[in-house]
Amino acid sequence: MTTMGFFKNLFGKKAPVGLHAPMAGKAVAITEVPDPTFAEKMLGDGIAIEPTDGKVYAPCDATVDMVFDTRHAVSLTSAKGEEILIHVGLETVGLNGAPFTAHVAAGDEVKQGQLLLEADLDAIRAAGLNTITPMVVCNSDDCPDFKTFTGKDVTTDDVVISTGK
Amino acid sequence: MKEFKHVISDPLGMHARPAGMLVKAAAPFASKITVTAPTGTADAKRLMALMRLAAKQGMELTVTVEGADEEKAAAELEAFLTANL
Repeated sequence: MTTMGFFKNLFGKKAPVGLHAPMAGKAVAITEVPDPTFAEKMLGDGIAIEPTDGKVYAPCDATVDMVFDTRHAVSLTSAKGEEILIHVGLETVGLNGAPFTAHVAAGDEVKQGQLLLEADLDAIRAAGLNTITPMVVCNSDDCPDFKTFTGKDVTTDDVVISTGK
Repeated sequence: MKEFKHVISDPLGMHARPAGMLVKAAAPFASKITVTAPTGTADAKRLMALMRLAAKQGMELTVTVEGADEEKAAAELEAFLTANL
């Protein structure tokens, strides 16, 4: 083993620092979301999760900026100033909150991995809607080195976005 | 300074998509564009601020535009809001 390898093992594999997946599932490129509002990055650059579970967790330590009263989306501001929007499913604003439970409110300080929302994915699908969940950084244009990590199955342990902030 | 009012007619109010579209409509202008709702005031070029207004159907928005291109910006934004919100 090389000295470098020894230290690498000693300190653990260096994981990218950034925003963790907000849900378990498959992380896909934002351009694959079948909704131009997200795919064309109108709300900012990011990723999307094809979720296998309806629990939505904080991607980083942050302040809850707002929970839509329809509970289908939450916005957060990270300690580094990233403005993050997690939008559970597409067109889900029209469900008026029915399949969603909010566990946080505007102004709450949250830690990475803390439960934010729960969504009943079966109910969303039963309504004929797509459960794909975009997570975008609204101020991605202000981020010095924006990168995404997609095309794989993820849990909340995995970093899916690094912003360079 | 130019100012106009718009009452939200979209039954879903200013959710993520119309807020994003409004930012896109406002961004090309040099003027400072401010949206005031009964719930607060937001810079029309900042998505998070607009969403924070949580502006609902029936709420009156006051849009103020101040800068070199205020005439054109106010006209385009008024047309945008009439068509989309």
